[in-house]
Amino acid sequence: MHRYPRWPIHAALIAVSFFMLVPFYWVLKTSVTGENIFAYPPAVLPKSPHPFYYVDVWYYIPFARYFLNSVVVSALAVIANVVFNAMAGYALTQDFPGKRFVLLLFLSCMMVPFQATIIPAYLITGRLGLLDSYWGLALPQLSTIVCIFVFKASFDAVPRSLIDAARIDGLSDWRIIWKVMMPLATGAIATNVILAFIWSWNNFLWPLIVTRSAEMQTLPLGLARFLSYQEDTTGALYAFCIMVLAPGILLFLMAQKEFIRGLTSGATKG
Amino acid sequence: MIAGERPLWRRALLNRFVLAPAAIAVAVVAWNTYVSTHNQGVIAGRVVDAAGAPVSGATVVLWILNFTTYVEKSRATTDDAGRFVITDNDSHNIRLAAEKAGIGRSARVPVRLYFRAEDIELSEPLVLLAASQG
Repeated sequence: MHRYPRWPIHAALIAVSFFMLVPFYWVLKTSVTGENIFAYPPAVLPKSPHPFYYVDVWYYIPFARYFLNSVVVSALAVIANVVFNAMAGYALTQDFPGKRFVLLLFLSCMMVPFQATIIPAYLITGRLGLLDSYWGLALPQLSTIVCIFVFKASFDAVPRSLIDAARIDGLSDWRIIWKVMMPLATGAIATNVILAFIWSWNNFLWPLIVTRSAEMQTLPLGLARFLSYQEDTTGALYAFCIMVLAPGILLFLMAQKEFIRGLTSGATKG
Repeated sequence: MIAGERPLWRRALLNRFVLAPAAIAVAVVAWNTYVSTHNQGVIAGRVVDAAGAPVSGATVVLWILNFTTYVEKSRATTDDAGRFVITDNDSHNIRLAAEKAGIGRSARVPVRLYFRAEDIELSEPLVLLAASQG
């Protein structure tokens, strides 16, 4: 039994959630009504809602192609993030010469914005012959330092005796990662999946630089193209935003429990 | 397997990471099946005069959205019952209008479709109004 009533906390959280969800509701409402967002007084409830702005979006631009491109690039980024970041995170839990330097290097690299490294990234991608390809689109997002630290924090929480026992049983480091550590790090995996997916899904600058043909463009580029085509379609624009946001929201809703657990794992020890 | 624990296949398949995408996949397949069986581009409807009587021999014109403007796509003529059928619509955003010399013309009616070339039967007839009424 709780010492204090919990309803004030819930009431406060509901109020905060309401204010945070209002913009999403407004986008959704406008996508099915197309009303002027500057209309005064604003209509709280949608008047004569219809789905035809979504139909417009589907046909005005090659939405299915952009969607496929975004899915492929995001899938590559998600799989590579889980594999590479788990390996790097495990390595950082081991003792080796220069570990402190590597950690400092990683932390300092997090302070360098991607825009500052975009020219060398482009040149490297070009030298590899990956411009205007799925691998080229995914390349800079195949591993992210934040997600490496998520795995490291999760692996740090695993008792050292468990790893020692696995080693005594004859498991190699490779098998320790996949057979022992990963099943215990579902929260870190979910966090990696969600963050890698959302960052890749929403990325605009890199696809803009690295794609040359319209067939390889992703959804954020499609949004820019859509804006250049249609100037006065508020409803279609908001419908497009909903269609771009929906997969990320769905993924988050499915994995939110693991996501939060992954972000908080390693925060406390003992 | 521990007693009381669910079998592996149930744990692997009956979870939200499988069921939610599977439900979406089923909905997509069902929708595309419906679309593929209802996309012959057939538009049917009726033309009546201001009194509600069927008008035969009226010309019905189909406009489709071409980028930013509507362009004429095809024409049809109503039969004795005032019915018309257009069979070559390939758009999702169309307008229809009817006209007959001596009776008048209808307003250009916007019609939105759920997908390209959707087969539809207009719920409301096109009403011919004399020029003075329109």
